[in-house]
Amino acid sequence: MRRWLGLSAVMLLVLGAVHAAAGSDASTIVDSNLNSGPYSDASVVVAVPNGSAVSVIERQGGWYHVRLASGQDGWLPMTSIRYNGGSSAAAGGTNWSSLFESGRSGAGGATASTGVRGLNTGDIANAVPDPAAVNELDKWAAKPPEARQFAGQLPAKATSADYLPEVKP
Amino acid sequence: MNARVAAFLAGFLALGLPAFAQGVDLGSLFNTVKQAVMPADEQQEEAIGRDAAATLLGASKPIGNAAVQDYVNKVGLWVALQSDRPQLTWRFAVVDSDDIDAFAAPAGYVFITRGLLLHMHNEAELAGVLGHEISHVVLKHHLNALQKAARMELVSQGAQYEANQQGYNSDLDQQLMDKVSNAARNLYSTGLDKGDELAADRAGVVLAARAGYDPYGLLAVLQTLESVDPKSGKMQLLLATHPSPADRIAALSAAMAAGHMDKYGSQAEGKERFEAVMKSLVAAAAKPAAKK
Repeated sequence: MRRWLGLSAVMLLVLGAVHAAAGSDASTIVDSNLNSGPYSDASVVVAVPNGSAVSVIERQGGWYHVRLASGQDGWLPMTSIRYNGGSSAAAGGTNWSSLFESGRSGAGGATASTGVRGLNTGDIANAVPDPAAVNELDKWAAKPPEARQFAGQLPAKATSADYLPEVKP
Repeated sequence: MNARVAAFLAGFLALGLPAFAQGVDLGSLFNTVKQAVMPADEQQEEAIGRDAAATLLGASKPIGNAAVQDYVNKVGLWVALQSDRPQLTWRFAVVDSDDIDAFAAPAGYVFITRGLLLHMHNEAELAGVLGHEISHVVLKHHLNALQKAARMELVSQGAQYEANQQGYNSDLDQQLMDKVSNAARNLYSTGLDKGDELAADRAGVVLAARAGYDPYGLLAVLQTLESVDPKSGKMQLLLATHPSPADRIAALSAAMAAGHMDKYGSQAEGKERFEAVMKSLVAAAAKPAAKK
């Protein structure tokens, strides 16, 4: 019995994860080919016309792993899709913004009307300089050895890459 | 307006107060200015940067979450160390706004709003955004714009200075910094040239790639921003000061394709580490009373 409860819990977690991924919906914005892998020379699964609905599963480099309405899955170049309005959980990721807002507004989930801080053009245009706040920044500043060590833990390894010239789209 | 007065003011801006305070002959300064052709030394850049940063922090304060600030400083410095100006004193901060934006100020100040951080999904996305801001500093976009604006404003008052030549003294320094504050309020509420933003996008992804991150993070953030409802008001300042996300995506993806950035696509994403930090940020939101 206990084993079944454990299994059910796992199933719920998996279903939840699938649901979250399916929530990041997008549409193609150009005629595209759905590739079998995240490479331009991968075999083509099927042609996808402009305007097709897709669900984003994950991103790998410049490619999105997507599922079509037909149920077929494969890879599209990332700029061949646009996320639908309001689906700010891009690429099957967590919507931290909505988690933060619901946390702040409390368990009841009431609309947070207090504590929301905007920053618009007027706030900048009328800003009164705060030099003390600039001095305070030093307490968080990292030293180069700390930054190198932190990168090494990931690991994120330094490599060479040339600057990109401007290219007209 | 008197050309020598203009040259003097230009020289003052180029060379800073120390030379001036010793009592400088206008003719020799004029020659010095011709040789110097306005390169800002790092002392002056730091003074202007501090002033611009103070203006930005006057509008939005850093959040008090040390774990988040430490994290952003480590990632940011690692990316900045890959730039052409690794020796600057780089300072990063997450500022207390739910709106979506990020800022750079001369000499190595980089701020991102909590709202923008909450719209990211991994460390590679953060590295791309910080790389964009770091690139503004490296390419001196704000420094050049602020110097130009402050200089124009001072020079436009040249007649007044000419009439008060006896009055040149250290309070001109204060007047200069007042001009920088005004210029900063104006610049950060209206934005840089569009070309500077697109250049910072291109350089930002290169810095992320050099730092060992998946360089497509910045494009992913821009795609997320493209899906945020403009009517939410969360992007009012960003949209007023930057090209649209769609235009930036088109320009950046064209340059990345031509530059064969796909070979860096399997570099680090840093999702787990990013998510751990975001969980602490979300948990802190649920107990605001604990905050200072």
